Amino acid sequence: MFRLSAGVLTVALICALGIAGAASSPNEQLPAGAMQEKASAACLTCHEARIILQQRLGKPAWTREMDKMVKWGAVVDPQDRDALIDYFSANFGPDQPAYVATKSSGAPVMKSRSKPKH
Amino acid sequence: MTSRRDFLRTASAVALAAGVARPFRAWAADLSAVSVPGKDGMIVRSYRFLDLETPVEFMTEWLTPVNHFFVRNHMFEPAKVDASKWKLTIGGQVEKPIVFTLADLEKVPVHSVTNAMECAGNGRTLQNPKVPGIQWGKGAVGNAKFSGPSLKVLLEKARVKDTGKHVMFRGLDEVPGKVPPFVRSIPLEKAIDADTLVATHMNGAALTQHHGFPARVITPGWAGAASCKWLTEITVLDKPAEGNFMSPGYRMPNAPVKPDEAVKPEDTHSVTGLTVKSLIAAPSDTAKLRPGKQEIKGVAWAGEADITKVEISTDGGSSWNLTELGKDHAKYAWRLWSYAWKPAKSGDYVILSRATDSQGRIQPEAAVWNPSGYLYNAYDQVKVHVQA
Repeated sequence: MFRLSAGVLTVALICALGIAGAASSPNEQLPAGAMQEKASAACLTCHEARIILQQRLGKPAWTREMDKMVKWGAVVDPQDRDALIDYFSANFGPDQPAYVATKSSGAPVMKSRSKPKH
Repeated sequence: MTSRRDFLRTASAVALAAGVARPFRAWAADLSAVSVPGKDGMIVRSYRFLDLETPVEFMTEWLTPVNHFFVRNHMFEPAKVDASKWKLTIGGQVEKPIVFTLADLEKVPVHSVTNAMECAGNGRTLQNPKVPGIQWGKGAVGNAKFSGPSLKVLLEKARVKDTGKHVMFRGLDEVPGKVPPFVRSIPLEKAIDADTLVATHMNGAALTQHHGFPARVITPGWAGAASCKWLTEITVLDKPAEGNFMSPGYRMPNAPVKPDEAVKPEDTHSVTGLTVKSLIAAPSDTAKLRPGKQEIKGVAWAGEADITKVEISTDGGSSWNLTELGKDHAKYAWRLWSYAWKPAKSGDYVILSRATDSQGRIQPEAAVWNPSGYLYNAYDQVKVHVQA
């Protein structure tokens, strides 16, 4: 999506400043806590934080998710496993309020003047 | 959307831009919006990998515009595919392995199918207790006209052997870490149905990147996971494909189970055809309405079956009223419906919708809970307040 051309960087700056009216930094962060840094390092290389922020799971389910993700390549020191499960269970347990998702802001879609072939 | 390479290359530049901007954010409009070119007003379930949900209020048209069609990615989208270099191979249990270019596909007769495509996990967030996965609300579904060669015609050119039983698809999406690739298969009998496509077009235009450019499978009437994007490899197998996204992925218990109850693989079945389901697009949940005539409207679909009726209750399910079905209809497509409602008095109302299909299936009051939250299809519901 983004490329390091001057034009795109300018657009990114304008959007971030709010002059264009929309578009914040697209990637969310994990919540503060003793394991924030290690959880971010283990998880956010492959996917962004929203996938975690929207879950509302009990400890058994978080344990299964943790072990699955380690199997799939998440780098976790075995000594940190239990603390990470506790971090996720505490922040994203079933009793936490629902996550509120953001909306997308898309560039206008140009309509083709040519007659569709199909 | 962002390929993994693009993301790593530019993350620092965007972070810098966001950091510089922080003091100015207070007066900016709609700061929570995330820029996704070509996709406007969608609910961002995930940015990386990209998962976008269609707000149910958008579902008032027969064909969902591409910029409002939901996106489900399990992996990183491939870097922009060079159509002139793209190739599609067919191998495995075939007499004549074959390679197609995009130009080759364009010589094959075009077949079109209007398909209501729904993610198997649509409605997952409505399951109680919650289950892991993308927490889709109601809108991981859309209805589009897909066009391209019938997969059957391509398989005939490769001449499937008698030993061929399943057809496996592989796309160009990029797999991070040790994540299993998103590889799945469908039975040969579904693959050689004339309506199963290698689609190159969506609503009359070439597929966009988010929807699988330059070619994707369309397995109509089935959960979206059977419709591989960025298709590049077709392999005919003598049995179903193996791997995470065949098992335990996309499998449901044969009988209801309790949360945290272990389920043996042999007691599960693969998610294939979609269930019968309706959604209310208008009025919106929690809407405040004026007295007088109201139009309740929405969509309904039933996978490989046809919608025969949609009913509305405005009294929380005590009584039901037939809706008028839209004129547009096609096998596999969704059906628009509407109901003219005049509330008798001011107050709170619970509006419910339920659909019935040509197989006699009726959208249930409660969906069957399952560990992955697949195929949620309970009555749809909105609560409104009528105030004079």
